[in-house]
Amino acid sequence: MWKYSKKLMDHFMNPRNSGQLLNPDGHSEIGSPQCGDAMTLDILIDDTDRIEEIRFMTFGCAGAIAAASALTDIAKGKTLEEALGISNDQIVEFLGGMPEEKYHCSVMGHEALSSAINDFKQRRDNMAEHLESILSEMHDDLAAALGKGSISIEHVHPIRVCVRISDGEDRSVTAVLEKELRKRTGKKVKVSIAH
Amino acid sequence: MKIYLDNNATTRIAPEVLDAMLPFLTERFGNPSSFHSFGSDIMDDIEAAREKVAALLGAHAEEIVFTSGGTESDNMALIGAASINPLKPGLVISRIEHPAVIATAEYLKNRGHPLKISDVNSDGTLNMSSFESCISEQTGIVSIMMANNETGVIIPVKEVARSAHEKGALFHTDAVQAVSKIPVDVRSMGIDMLSISAHKLHGPKGVGALFIRKGIEIPPFMLGGHQEKGMRAGTYNAAGIVGLGVAAELASRHLLEENGRTGLLLDKLESGLLEKCPGAVIACADAARLPNTATVLFRGVESEAVMTLLDMEGVCVSSGSACSTGENSSSYVLSAMGIDALDANTAIRFSLSRYTTGREIDYVLEVLPPIIEKLREISPYAR
Repeated sequence: MWKYSKKLMDHFMNPRNSGQLLNPDGHSEIGSPQCGDAMTLDILIDDTDRIEEIRFMTFGCAGAIAAASALTDIAKGKTLEEALGISNDQIVEFLGGMPEEKYHCSVMGHEALSSAINDFKQRRDNMAEHLESILSEMHDDLAAALGKGSISIEHVHPIRVCVRISDGEDRSVTAVLEKELRKRTGKKVKVSIAH
Repeated sequence: MKIYLDNNATTRIAPEVLDAMLPFLTERFGNPSSFHSFGSDIMDDIEAAREKVAALLGAHAEEIVFTSGGTESDNMALIGAASINPLKPGLVISRIEHPAVIATAEYLKNRGHPLKISDVNSDGTLNMSSFESCISEQTGIVSIMMANNETGVIIPVKEVARSAHEKGALFHTDAVQAVSKIPVDVRSMGIDMLSISAHKLHGPKGVGALFIRKGIEIPPFMLGGHQEKGMRAGTYNAAGIVGLGVAAELASRHLLEENGRTGLLLDKLESGLLEKCPGAVIACADAARLPNTATVLFRGVESEAVMTLLDMEGVCVSSGSACSTGENSSSYVLSAMGIDALDANTAIRFSLSRYTTGREIDYVLEVLPPIIEKLREISPYAR
């Protein structure tokens, strides 16, 4: 048996944030078939770029499960930049130490997190691209809804966007944008308005 | 409560064995090679032990050389046999041999002995056509285990020995896991050399034996004094040898009845696990196996995590996992059978002994299924 700390055993026996999210903003699946460990990570990101929810699934030893649990505990509530800065040493320290041979278990969590964040950013970029092209094409019904007002992007998220308008009717603008975004992304996108 | 189901790793010393050994660790401490009777009388006990080991194997007493265990026996057999005939320097082993055989064969290969390694089938049995293609007129020694330590699969060594002999090669078998669990008869099986280890059959650690068929001359392995007719120098491990003798005697006595009982317990364990654990698969289920060994793949669940939780319940098993040993590769035995790393890393080995009870099996069937379920719930591979 490895000499595991009490805290590590606690995270192994009672993993925090295990499971999956139904509609994650970012998802990653990583694994090394050679070592035999694998994990999935789901994240929900709020509009201030903080990790609102995080869930993991792990195929691995006690050390791998505990490291994944610890990572989610540390990452929850952090901004994306802060979360990317979580180091393996931090996870090991959080767990009260780990046998040296098991350090590689903590690496997987870090990899999964940065991959899930990348996935989130990619989804966000895709959404931004769709929105930008809708605004630049400025079809008749969007122009009609805006009247003489102008429109700019306030905030983009993979499943919701916020635009700023100087004039025009909120309800017609959101209706037009939601319809256009649904057509292009195949998903229901929530549009909100800032003035 | 400790439930020990790791008897292929080592076994408890039988009380009768310990009783027989104790005098040689206390008042009868003499050196069997001494002239005075205080020492030389102990030689009679050593010879009696030799008779008992020979009886278990169907051999003659003079064909038994005592060693420090299975690893030394394997080293002695392979290195010795490889030096007999320079015209036949080749070695043949299989992919699933014990590391003692594999490492020795690799050592000999590095010293110029051509090494051929036979494949196994997906059910863990020896692939006979691969094996036949490995043997040639150049082959001097074939070493194929009698039963595999991980899967328990029994290799029909009689057939293997015949093929070896047809090409004029000697046949050695590592029977460390097989002896005491299945009947062994070196004569009818056509075995030239056979390795055993005491601690796998309720004897002490640090002692074993090599059977060398009469007429086969291999060079001494350990150089020094004249012990074991000069074949294996070093002061006799009297207590250990006497312990091996008694363990062999007990093994002969219990062979049929106890192994029948162990086999029923194993069946109960296997069917219980299949019924109660989703994703469970018995490795080599359809192959002939030792009555005490089952390797179970709990698919979707990493085996070290299972072992860790089982250990907390007092249940001792072992695994085919890479992570448990700190090595970065999974079981080469399971991999040789074509089981991928992902599944190999879910393998748990249960190995019973004649001391295993039905209540212990019941206990395992009670505590293990919730462990598997708990780990499957957080596994990305469990669906």
